Amino acid sequence: MVNPTMPTDPVNPPYAETPSLVRLVAAEAWDHVWPWSSHGFQRQRAVQAASMALALAATVVWVLAAMGQLEAGALIGWWFGWSVFEVVVRLGSKPYVKDGPWWGRRYRVANTMDMVCYVGFKNLLIGAALFLALKSLGFLVVQG
Amino acid sequence: MNFLAALRNLLLSAVLSSAASLAIANTYEAQLPAEINSAPELCKYAPCNEVLPGATSFSERKGQPPYVEGYAEEGGKKKFVGYVMLSTDITDTPAYSGKPVITLIGMDTGGHFVGVRILKHSEPILLLGIPESSLVRFNQQYLGKFVGDNIEIGQSRPEENITGLDAISGATVTVISQNQVMMTSGTAVARQVGILKPTIREQARFAQTGAKPDWATLVKQGAVQRIVVTPEQVGLPRGPQPFVELWFGYLNHPELGRAILGDGPYNSLMSGLKEGEHALFVIRTGGKESFKGSGFVRGGIYDRVQVRQGADSFTFRDTDAFNLYGIAAPGAPAFNESAIFIVRSKAFSAAYPWKFVFLGNRVDRATGARSFANFDTEYWLPAAYLEGGRPEVVKPDAPWVRVWKTRAVEIGLFAALLVAVGTVYGFRDKLTRRATRKNKWPVNIFKYSAWIISIGFVGFGMLAQPSITQVLTWFHALLFHWQWELFLSDPFIFLFWIFIIVTVFVWGRGLFCGWLCPFGSLSELLYKVGGAVGLKRFQFQLPRRWHNRLKWVKYFVFFGLLAVSVFSMGLAEKLAEVEPFKTTFLVGLFNRSWPYTLFAGGLLGLSIFIERPFCKYLCPLGASLAMPSTFRWFGLKRKQECNSCKACAVGCGAQAIDEDGRIDHRECLHCLDCMVLYTDEHTCPPLAQERKRRTKAGLPLTPIGADGYYIPIKPMPARPAGKSVRAQPEAATSTH
Repeated sequence: MVNPTMPTDPVNPPYAETPSLVRLVAAEAWDHVWPWSSHGFQRQRAVQAASMALALAATVVWVLAAMGQLEAGALIGWWFGWSVFEVVVRLGSKPYVKDGPWWGRRYRVANTMDMVCYVGFKNLLIGAALFLALKSLGFLVVQG
Repeated sequence: MNFLAALRNLLLSAVLSSAASLAIANTYEAQLPAEINSAPELCKYAPCNEVLPGATSFSERKGQPPYVEGYAEEGGKKKFVGYVMLSTDITDTPAYSGKPVITLIGMDTGGHFVGVRILKHSEPILLLGIPESSLVRFNQQYLGKFVGDNIEIGQSRPEENITGLDAISGATVTVISQNQVMMTSGTAVARQVGILKPTIREQARFAQTGAKPDWATLVKQGAVQRIVVTPEQVGLPRGPQPFVELWFGYLNHPELGRAILGDGPYNSLMSGLKEGEHALFVIRTGGKESFKGSGFVRGGIYDRVQVRQGADSFTFRDTDAFNLYGIAAPGAPAFNESAIFIVRSKAFSAAYPWKFVFLGNRVDRATGARSFANFDTEYWLPAAYLEGGRPEVVKPDAPWVRVWKTRAVEIGLFAALLVAVGTVYGFRDKLTRRATRKNKWPVNIFKYSAWIISIGFVGFGMLAQPSITQVLTWFHALLFHWQWELFLSDPFIFLFWIFIIVTVFVWGRGLFCGWLCPFGSLSELLYKVGGAVGLKRFQFQLPRRWHNRLKWVKYFVFFGLLAVSVFSMGLAEKLAEVEPFKTTFLVGLFNRSWPYTLFAGGLLGLSIFIERPFCKYLCPLGASLAMPSTFRWFGLKRKQECNSCKACAVGCGAQAIDEDGRIDHRECLHCLDCMVLYTDEHTCPPLAQERKRRTKAGLPLTPIGADGYYIPIKPMPARPAGKSVRAQPEAATSTH
């Protein structure tokens, strides 16, 4: 039976039932930065392996930017490209999002748009924080 | 044949009129020669003769900040007719885009503006929404005005001696910044050449403390100050060493002068100074860049350092500099360049704060182009060294503060509106319980009031229509030059965005889109009015399958704009004309070329028959807010029975309830119609069923709980005779 109180069906990630708040926060933090799961690897090996290579490349791009060897436009392009791929990866490996308040424990199945919104917003925050940090430290070349 | 010819002419005129409006924006991100920023012959690269009528020849750049002199030919002789200045030589005040409007300014020998020419700007609003000619017309208001006048944006106030300039509706921030550019540039040159007399300040009376401070104490007291410029601040690669690190301080005070120089050098220095002359020292403790530079060798003026006090600038000639061989104060850092500079002006007073300025050039690493940049640190003699302490100094308000002060009443009303709407929505449960499907006025009275205020006061009155262009502008400002002052200069948009960001995360985008967006409100109001005047039979919703396809268009529009903005902000701003906001509110339906009027008018006309077609299918701003709405904290309520009951879904104007009774919070516009039904015991099918069952069984109708059902009737055991009543634990069973 469909549960209309949620936009999609409820689902619990492995850590949802943990009684420890610290563990829950740590597990959620890990979820935000690590899009892969063993379950996802079993389902789509090629995509997941390619995504790991792309994630590595995106990390190198951030490092190059931090060394002042990359321009802002290239960095934004890479980050956007990785974000698109992350949507695909997460839909295969961790296809859920939180519903309601951030401090709550309601999770639900993510459809493609939910995942686009989640990854887009998360990576916007991560990207903006890193971008501003690098820019304020003078590492990043920004064309005027 | 005639018909075909007419059609061809019509199409041709449409294309030409569109192209004409695009072509107006000819200085947007214009490519200027790199030499314009640094070449001595400014007028070889800039149209100086256009801003200084009659001038046929021009000098090289001179003075600090630089300007050029213009000469006319009269009877074979050169006649000095005025000055030309490039705004970015004098100030780097950014406009709304975060980049300066590069302006060439002409001023006659009497200090009157005689010409203004925009050479380059990056203002998105002037691309299409407001023609660039508006800024040209704005600048023409300066012609003939004296540089020493108090010129401000807004109405003239003769009693306060303020000359007002008409602003450009919808580009307030741009014109505030442009006014700052004009007045800063004009006064800087006018003071330098003697048109404006310097402010005469009361000279400091020194107090004696009897101490002889060491370097650390001097630093702690603020009697010596430091200025550091990092390589990245001037566009160079980041490095471990600063571009330049300078220490400076005031020397005339006997205790400070003796502490820094030692008794002998101090006495010698002071014996050479006349009344009204002031000495200060500068040492370089880091970096390799010389603060003396080499300019003074050519022109006799040190072009890398300057002192500013209020609106007065003090530069140093070669005769104003002396050697400094050592610092006597124990603990002073080692230095590799030093000088003592003399300010020879009675306008300077050590009793008041002043700034030591390092004048630099910022190099664009991508293009190699240089632009003006200055770095300063304020100095104010510590109170202990002044008789009676520091005098009271009233600093003039920043431009954005003046805007907030002059529009305080409107800002207060607007803030009250936002708080009121937020509060009303916070109490939505109480309102929806008072309403029924047949009488929604307990909710609608607030919603309709918000719409009318939003359209009249916020939209047409304050021109505070949020737009996707603001999101794109922030993105650009974040990349290039973020300045809070710029965004504070438009208080209504600033407050609106705080409201939007907060409410999107708490409740979703529906509160802004459904209650307060001026265009959305106008659109739905037209739909309601259309229904009320007899057009209801023509009103319709798109079939669900088409709605489900078309609702994605707005996301494509948003992502398209975002992607284009990365490559070309200008093109993105042009494409953002998909929003009819500028045409409707900022410029006016009948003040634009007909394609825009037709587009905005067509959307509004369509709104009479389809509820909010633009909001549902096209609005990129709505799409950008819908995405974070996925993670709103508090959504609307549902019952399990909603999965099969279609009562709410049928009445949902936003078509945000799907066939399973689920609400799509990205599409929901918070009309609250479904929440009215949720507690309406005559309309909500499961609730009506329960009401009928209880009535038939003679059971009481308990109040409706937060879950949307009657509060369960708890069976209680019969009370034994002679025993008092005790509280019962809550029963696990319920009757619904």
